[in-house]
Amino acid sequence: MNRGKNGLIVSFLALPLGLYSVFVLFPYCAAMLFAFTRWSGLSSVIRFNGLNNFIKLYNDEKFWHALSHNAIALVILPPITLGLALFFAFLFTQGTRFARFFRIAFFFPQVLSVVIVAVVWSFIYHPTVGLLNASIQAIGIKGLTSFPWLGDSRTVFGAVLGVVIWQSVGFYMVLFVAGMGSIPADYYEAARIDGASPWVMFWSVTVPLLWDTIRTAIIFIAIAAMDLFGIVLVMTNGTGGPSRAADVVPTYLFSTAFSDGNFGYASAMGLVLLVLVLVLSIVSLRFTARESFEY
Amino acid sequence: MSTEDEKGVSRRKFLKFAAITGGAAVLVACGSSPTTTTSATSSAATGATSGAATTAADTATMAATMAATTADTATMAATMAATTAATATAASTSASGSMPQVAAEAMNPLGLQAGTVDGVFFAGGFGDDYIKYAAKLMQQLHPDTTVKTQSIQKVQEQLQPRFVAGSPPDVIDDSGAGLIAITDLVRDGQLMDLTPLLQAAALDTPGKKFQDTLFPGSQDSATFDGKPYGINISYTISGIWYSKPAFDKAGYTYPKTWDEMLKLCEQIKKEGKQSPWTYQGKYPYYIYGIVWNMLVYQAGGNDVLMKLDNLDPSAWSDPAVKRATEDLYQLWDKGYILPGTAGLTHTESQTEWLKGHAVFIPCGNWLENEMKTLTPPDFNMTVSNVPGYADGKGDANAVNASGGETYIVPAKGKNPKGGMEYIRVLLSKDSSKYFAENVRAIMPVVGGTEGAKLSEGMKSAVQLVTDSKGVSVLMNFPNWYSTLQKELETHTGELMTGKLKPADFMTTMQKAADTVAKDPDIKKFKRTK
Repeated sequence: MNRGKNGLIVSFLALPLGLYSVFVLFPYCAAMLFAFTRWSGLSSVIRFNGLNNFIKLYNDEKFWHALSHNAIALVILPPITLGLALFFAFLFTQGTRFARFFRIAFFFPQVLSVVIVAVVWSFIYHPTVGLLNASIQAIGIKGLTSFPWLGDSRTVFGAVLGVVIWQSVGFYMVLFVAGMGSIPADYYEAARIDGASPWVMFWSVTVPLLWDTIRTAIIFIAIAAMDLFGIVLVMTNGTGGPSRAADVVPTYLFSTAFSDGNFGYASAMGLVLLVLVLVLSIVSLRFTARESFEY
Repeated sequence: MSTEDEKGVSRRKFLKFAAITGGAAVLVACGSSPTTTTSATSSAATGATSGAATTAADTATMAATMAATTADTATMAATMAATTAATATAASTSASGSMPQVAAEAMNPLGLQAGTVDGVFFAGGFGDDYIKYAAKLMQQLHPDTTVKTQSIQKVQEQLQPRFVAGSPPDVIDDSGAGLIAITDLVRDGQLMDLTPLLQAAALDTPGKKFQDTLFPGSQDSATFDGKPYGINISYTISGIWYSKPAFDKAGYTYPKTWDEMLKLCEQIKKEGKQSPWTYQGKYPYYIYGIVWNMLVYQAGGNDVLMKLDNLDPSAWSDPAVKRATEDLYQLWDKGYILPGTAGLTHTESQTEWLKGHAVFIPCGNWLENEMKTLTPPDFNMTVSNVPGYADGKGDANAVNASGGETYIVPAKGKNPKGGMEYIRVLLSKDSSKYFAENVRAIMPVVGGTEGAKLSEGMKSAVQLVTDSKGVSVLMNFPNWYSTLQKELETHTGELMTGKLKPADFMTTMQKAADTVAKDPDIKKFKRTK
């Protein structure tokens, strides 16, 4: 009986696990090995390179430059995105008028592909026919006529991060709305009877009971901040922006592998990025650990 | 608070609504204007050399950058049988498909045996009709050979696995935004040395070797350490473009020296109707590869460019480099560049130029085809050389022309002779006339445009080649060293927006060149002429 059941489980799992190992696990492991080699990615000649890739990486200014942008994203994205998402989620679960409409409107960017979002926003930032410069002019500010938001090293990364926030707020908002939906209404009633203002209810009821969802969201967005590949690639046309001012590790990795023909070195970057993301996840889990509430 | 039930309903409605509006937005995003789309696909250098940055037809496919891979695996026989528009045009233009006169010794100089030729080609701005046309010619020449043509968009993505597995095709058009860097293939010994092809008899130019029918200098960018590893099948002429009628109407004359150019810019700026210059801001390639390199050449001659190519430790402090860089910088410093240029892609800046917001723009002769749909009638775009110096060491008539759209023959293919034969047929006079008329571009074949109908822009470009008497300007290091190319791209962008002063530009680039020279992972190339 028991053996038959195991057989059934194995037969069901064999295919997905097999596919997963061939197309996900194997490439992961292979990339970790490539990190210690010199390989163009175009031939079967792969030479062992010891730790040289990592030494080169340590001395590579462009890598640190790219990593610094990920770090900036890591500092800026979570508080702003999650703060806005929490704010809107709370607002739209308070019986606000048109709440449903706003929920859809805010979630909407999430439905679009990153490439489309990036292309559309590139047009909004367009120096001469862009919506942004036109709006700025319309409200009477003259100094910024034809300002190239994506063509100036001071503004390009901020412009990209703005789009990331715009796109991701909706996703976290929906996550929080769902979480808030599962908080029993009695708690709010009890708080209201005790005379709590909406502000107090938010901080003393919603946030503590939502803490597990928020933790998950923090890890999601932290990992997203370490990535940013698609949006940066498209909005800077693959160049990393003027003076590489918006270059992030994944775009630098991509150009190292695919335009410089240096898969070994690029795999080393990938490995370093993997370690950084793992450390980051563990750290943020530790720092946000609190007693969770049963209800 | 909403109840569980209510939420279910709203979520379903919401998803439905989201799907509909999402779809609508996608349509809007794709359909807006031709300029929207190319921006994401092509990177400067490749867009430039292959003309891959392209026409509306190509553009339409981009909407999903990722989805666009057409696999046209039909064999030539099947394609010929099919009544496609492509074959129809091919048949009609080649005088019912009969072979041109081919001398006996030119029939099969490479010793091709019966079999199959497996060709995989990038189909970008040039389309793939000309590829099929040449396949058809070859089929007629060698009835016992089957030519398979496959058109693809992303060369690296699709062919990398075949190279790694050791079973590459016999001939490849390695172009487009997703090309495989030819230097990487050379470094790995993956490519055939094409000397036998160059030494073979030309197909329909009697008494000449294949090599002698090609424009001088057109194959330099595919030559590594003196050995030909690729054949450039298109020839691009770059320079400064302007609308001839508008230019004449305003009473301007095209400057002969850079000083005159700056004077003219000052005049245009004072008149206040147009900006003197714009360029493809997000892709500074157009500045360093079309204007800056010509100024360096005009000031110091070929020797200075050779020093740059050979990573000479003092190359970047050469007086000619200093003069060219400082003079180029004047365009920014004196405010001659259209405001906002740095934020524009190639098609966007070219659109601004077509609207008359700027007088000059640097570009190659793919410009005409690329902007076909947006060009006002009677615009008559014309190209001229970058004006140089009266006291310079360069040849004032030298043309900035180079081969592009590189075809390669993998060393490990099954039928490399077949691959070479295909290229020999492709660069015949017959095929280049087809190319000139149907693709509106030039193959580097002597007499290849004989009897072909050319547009005004093409005529002015061909004129530059004729006037140059075979002197063309070559700067190779960006092709040889992709890391250095990216540095040059970045710092040219900074120079043209005043972020980097000419002196800092020179020291920064020297440092970058020294880094490449010292890196043992990068294969070095040299040239001596």
